[in-house]
Amino acid sequence: MAYVLQTEDLTCIYGEGTPLRTVALDKINIGIEQGELLAVIGQTGSGKSSLIQHFNGILRPASGRVLLNGRDIWADKKNIRQVRFQVGLCFQYPEYQLFEETVAKDIAFGPRNMGLSDAEIDDRVHEAARYVGLTQAHLDASPFDLSGGEKRRAAIAGVIAMRPQVLILDEPTAGLDPSGRDTILGFIRAYRQETGATVIIVSHSMEDVAAIATRVLVVHQGKIAMSGTVEEVFSRADELVAIGLNVPQVTRVFTELNRRGFHVPKNVYTVEQAGNILLQLLHTGEGKA
Amino acid sequence: MNEKAMIEFRNVTFRYPSEDTEETRPVLQGLDLTIRPGEFVAILGRNGSGKSTIAKLANGILEPDEGEISILGLDSAREENHREIRRNCGLVFQNPDNQIVATIVEEDVAFGPENLGVPPWEIRERVDAALRAVGMYEYRRREPHKLSGGQKQRVAIAGILAMDPRCIILDEATAMLDPHGRREVMETVRRLNRERGITIVYITHFMEEAAEADRVIVMDGGRAVMDDDPHTVFSQIDRMKELGLDVPQVSELMAYLGRHGVRTNGAVLNAEECIESLSQLLEEA
Repeated sequence: MAYVLQTEDLTCIYGEGTPLRTVALDKINIGIEQGELLAVIGQTGSGKSSLIQHFNGILRPASGRVLLNGRDIWADKKNIRQVRFQVGLCFQYPEYQLFEETVAKDIAFGPRNMGLSDAEIDDRVHEAARYVGLTQAHLDASPFDLSGGEKRRAAIAGVIAMRPQVLILDEPTAGLDPSGRDTILGFIRAYRQETGATVIIVSHSMEDVAAIATRVLVVHQGKIAMSGTVEEVFSRADELVAIGLNVPQVTRVFTELNRRGFHVPKNVYTVEQAGNILLQLLHTGEGKA
Repeated sequence: MNEKAMIEFRNVTFRYPSEDTEETRPVLQGLDLTIRPGEFVAILGRNGSGKSTIAKLANGILEPDEGEISILGLDSAREENHREIRRNCGLVFQNPDNQIVATIVEEDVAFGPENLGVPPWEIRERVDAALRAVGMYEYRRREPHKLSGGQKQRVAIAGILAMDPRCIILDEATAMLDPHGRREVMETVRRLNRERGITIVYITHFMEEAAEADRVIVMDGGRAVMDDDPHTVFSQIDRMKELGLDVPQVSELMAYLGRHGVRTNGAVLNAEECIESLSQLLEEA
């Protein structure tokens, strides 16, 4: 299987040669397939941010390799700019980085750097705006006149406008209200379905992860602790909690009921799933301890 | 009423000044709100509903266009009251990096009492006590920028405690923190509320946090549209969703069962209540 992104013994070390030397990533080997929606989870300091910063060449591996479409992104140093267009990274709280006079100009910043024609840039700005649900009125406005949720979407559109093969979003819903969060998750899902792009999100919100991911990668102390479907990963709730992570509330409930001897499954993470299982068990009486 | 309200808003209207002449919609519209001493109140509402404006008005950072605000009976319109209001009612902001002023933790905590003219020996005592109360005493000589987000917010809370306040308002103070940091802040303020009777006003987007309060106020369009105990608020799932909000997963689950004919014993707010409730149901099935 050919991977879009792949790491081989990827190692990241901060403060090499000082007493504060820290191994942030320790020989990571992962492969990410075209079209996946991968959620990367882990505690603060687990190495997850270091990992995604290697994906588009912001950080250079201390040892090991990062492959994009099978090619080492550092094989030719002049190529790294191209890599950053192909692997678009949207940082946490990206709305703080808006700076242009209009939203349209801000979204156009990336494509302009790619040296595209004005017509092409215009196309891409409108396309990206459509994905994130911003109207022409938004595009003509100053970024500072938008609401918090709209600013966030404008900033993400700026990355989408580069039409990256891989879109990486670091905490895309942090600090938003529930409806702002749902809007963002909705367009991430639609964007991936329409474009077939690979999307990687880093999130502390297990409910968000449960709602949209096709695969979950758990990073702990610079290593990959788990990798699997949402169901597989959340069925190991005890281990997740042991390494300081949260699990969705219903997962916690089902894990505890299971521990108390009730005949309920542990791989439950959405309300609907939980509800249907319970209705059946209450009907048949087969859930008894 | 023989006891003074901690925070009282009477018919408060507020609009942010606009550059154009066009009249902007008020952020708060005729808001009446009373928070009593010792309460733990959560305020919810979608972005732009007026939550943060309440925090800034209660602390005298903003002044209302109409209506009156008093803090422990002190009228916030009178500038000579501002000092006493701010000493009694401290505010913790969203971004931990925007509220740290010193390069050493204990100096940051001392900033408030120094400004109040507290004598040096007493500052020492207050700073140590405040840092102990938030579990940050061991970090007193550290540089704040090397702390985690949750630790920084606890230092901010200590800075308020050192002024001996009656009330702490947290304006989305956990929004930028990871789950561990959020837990630290929540546990700290709950303890301060229970053990010292400090009034807590907790503005948040996290429904599970709001479920831990004694009272939940939901803002929408500048008005308080719900004001009740958390069980009552979070059992109204459709209403909450209409207001752009959510309910904890477990509350939604029990409501789902209820809709499908299962007789549940009322709304649940947290995993523990849900586990008890389901254990019973499964046993009796």
